[in-house]
Amino acid sequence: MSEAIHIGLDPLNTIGNATARVDAVERVTGEAKYSRDFKLPGMLYAQILRSPHPHARIRSIDTSAAEALPGVRAVITGDNASVVWGAGSVSGGRQYNDPTKDATLHRRYIFNNPVRFVGDSVAAVAAIDRHTAEEALALIKVDYEELPFVLEPEAALEPGAPQVWPDGNLCPDFRNNFEPMVSNLGDVEAGFAEADKIYEERYETSFIHNAQMEPRAALAHWEADKLTLYSPTQGISNCRHDTARDLGLQDHQVRIICNYMGGGFGNKNQNQDADLVAATLSKQAGAPVMLEFSRRDDWLGVHGRWPTVQYYKIGAKNDGTVTAIQMRGYSGMGPYRKNSGGISGMDVYACPNRLRSISPVYTNRTTSGNFRAPSEPHGFYGVESMMDEVAYKLGVDPVEFTLKNMRRPTDDQPFTNYSLDEVITTGAEQFDWASRRKTTPGSDEGPIKRGSGFSFMMFRAGVGTSSAIVRVDAQRQYTLFVGVTDIGPGAKTTMGMIAAEELGVPLDQVEVVAGDTDRCPYSVGESGSRTTIQTGYAVMQAAKDLNQQIADSGMPTGSDVLIASATPNPSTDGKTRQCFGAHFVEVEVDTRIGTTRIVKYTTVHESGRIINPTTARDQIRGATLQGIGQALHEDLLYDPASGQPLTTGYYRARHLTHLDIPEIDVTFIEVDDGYGPFGAKTAGEAGIILAPAAMANAISNAIGVRMTSLPISRDKILEAMA
Amino acid sequence: MGDKNKADTSLNPKQRSRREFLESAGTTAALASAVPVLGISTAQAQSDIESTAAKTRIQLTVNGSRHSVDVEDRWTLVEVLRDQLDLTGTKIGCDRSECGACTVIMNGKPVYSCSQLAVWADGAQVTTVEGLASGGQLSPVQQAFVENNGPQCGFCTPGQLMTATALLSNNATPNADEVKQALVGNLCRCSNYNAIVEAVVMAGERSGSAV
Repeated sequence: MSEAIHIGLDPLNTIGNATARVDAVERVTGEAKYSRDFKLPGMLYAQILRSPHPHARIRSIDTSAAEALPGVRAVITGDNASVVWGAGSVSGGRQYNDPTKDATLHRRYIFNNPVRFVGDSVAAVAAIDRHTAEEALALIKVDYEELPFVLEPEAALEPGAPQVWPDGNLCPDFRNNFEPMVSNLGDVEAGFAEADKIYEERYETSFIHNAQMEPRAALAHWEADKLTLYSPTQGISNCRHDTARDLGLQDHQVRIICNYMGGGFGNKNQNQDADLVAATLSKQAGAPVMLEFSRRDDWLGVHGRWPTVQYYKIGAKNDGTVTAIQMRGYSGMGPYRKNSGGISGMDVYACPNRLRSISPVYTNRTTSGNFRAPSEPHGFYGVESMMDEVAYKLGVDPVEFTLKNMRRPTDDQPFTNYSLDEVITTGAEQFDWASRRKTTPGSDEGPIKRGSGFSFMMFRAGVGTSSAIVRVDAQRQYTLFVGVTDIGPGAKTTMGMIAAEELGVPLDQVEVVAGDTDRCPYSVGESGSRTTIQTGYAVMQAAKDLNQQIADSGMPTGSDVLIASATPNPSTDGKTRQCFGAHFVEVEVDTRIGTTRIVKYTTVHESGRIINPTTARDQIRGATLQGIGQALHEDLLYDPASGQPLTTGYYRARHLTHLDIPEIDVTFIEVDDGYGPFGAKTAGEAGIILAPAAMANAISNAIGVRMTSLPISRDKILEAMA
Repeated sequence: MGDKNKADTSLNPKQRSRREFLESAGTTAALASAVPVLGISTAQAQSDIESTAAKTRIQLTVNGSRHSVDVEDRWTLVEVLRDQLDLTGTKIGCDRSECGACTVIMNGKPVYSCSQLAVWADGAQVTTVEGLASGGQLSPVQQAFVENNGPQCGFCTPGQLMTATALLSNNATPNADEVKQALVGNLCRCSNYNAIVEAVVMAGERSGSAV
């Protein structure tokens, strides 16, 4: 096996030692129960009918034949089930903000009329088995009046474009103002005036489905007025709160259970329409209901990373100093603005004149939403491709160019720590950047060309609140209660390791109870790379409290227990807290057939102290590979004539397989900045941010043509070389 | 990507293509809809009636236990394993031969159980992820997955383990390239591919050299 290199800190007793997951045996024996693996007595199976049209008004729905089919127990449509899905349309991406959800102008229901994309939900059926439910769907007659549709964000803003909503296609912000999101620093016009040269380019990036292996499912079960939902969520506390709000319940009337879930990468945040549909069907049928999404349901009915168009204008001096950065961006949000539509990246430069304007735009494609580092990989691809091009045009090494222009701590904005110089120089050395990159891009003779690219980042690692409870009994068995779910990174194990370290006991003396809102306290949710920092810090504080209780009153005896709980709300004392990273990659492009092969891939990350080297290593490797897939392959293509999606699945979207996988070298520079649990920072999203930019820069370095459109598929390389 | 459907299709006359299977399911729906029936009251919803579709009795051996199951023509092997035999370790990721999460070993070969009709499994010997450990001992490849973080979210893990087990029974000490070739039909969206390949190679080195 290949281990990561760790520089900077020694392992503690538990933390910092390569540790197998506490639930690894369950995961390799099939004992781990995912949402779809539960079966309750009398359970019904449900399916959703989806729109075949990109935009249509429903004149009428006839469900009589479906209701008459033997075995059918409930049929719901917008006519008899008008439930707002609060998290489905959250202006401005303020997904945890109730007032914004209430004020949202463009509200999404579990069934919408008009339907606004191919895959929009129209009706749902619960029946005695899944095949009967499937049969019933085929018997529902929907009379559609087809409407004009629009697929591309720029086209959607043209005068006369088909209107997705009556107010126009520019998404409103969280105050319902129809304005682009603008961030303006300094004076870009002054910056351009100061520049020796001005560079402009248009970049575009594709829709990337989260494509987690576990399709959406939800099992709903009512006992009197209490709803239990077995649902694959990335945050049981938020899922409970959202579900309760949308169904008109109190939080305590909803129980969310999710011990194992098959990935999400951002599309299982909060509650989903599947939860609300299953709960509504279950109420109506008077029986537990298991709603199952097919792979196509999931591809169209959930969401993926928003496609973007980015126009850059950069001013630079001949000595390589950047004087102005301007970006005008368009994000295709589908017909519901589920998340922000952000395009980030330019803020990693110190240049004082920066103007960014982003228009999130409604289209009749499937919904866009959060995917692992929601605003970053496409934005870093755009701005770091642009800067790479500027560096080569000025004859400067892109690494030198970065070290000259990257953001650094200032008196006005100190950092908790800053390791970007060390991260970049370590990576450049390990990769042998100086000899691998082509000083003149595309200079290899012959059809097979090598080149190298580089990208760098800093990314939020802020602290925040969460909760934990820890208990010890007279047998000195510790139980940690945390409201985390393990979506893949290993949260249960990480939380257990932090508790064991602080309590001063071996990990096997700590049982971790997670994934059940009736048993666990609030946790922030597995999104934004926050679990380790926020819930981990709460675990640390609860364990400190318990240690103090034990010191004060001794270990409990008999049937007594000691319990400590903590809900800390730490701050970084006005300092910004960031994780840092740099990726270096060498590729070999066969210009005859347009293929790209990775020769060497080096990653260096500073994510604070690493809690579990094993799982941290694979967070970086896995996220990097996802980013490589984004760079080379993935897209959701639409037929412009019919508005039909064409690549709704792994095969058609050309996801990476075992055969496409290079070695990914991982180095962690470890630092304890005194914040977070033992100095731990963000890791889960860090790897994906850098891969598209590094790959694109490497390909351009190999072939001597700037690649301005993701994915850099074979046809685009052939076109560039033609 | 190689042959996505790894079943040996040459010998079994009962096998039909996925398309034919889907078309026949559609026919069933059309026939059922032609029969007029009364609506269902909520009181009836409490009763636990079963589908009236015709069933065929099959015999199969799963993880060493013999089972006799009455199956509908449209049921797939993975549905029988999960819904009838409660062996939920086998996962449904795509239900259409794309992802490999449902891989089981049938008559010695790894197959996508989502794309095997249950009736085709009549008389078959099937091994699922629940059958890998014996006597409380994990198999070598399971043990290697535990140690080298083979599962991230874990949803593809049962399928990866089954294909890897089939590989190791044919090639006791595969190298990384051979593992990749064999496992190409098992996708992992966590993209934990490196760790999975390392674990399979490690399992082979440990047990293969001991043979």
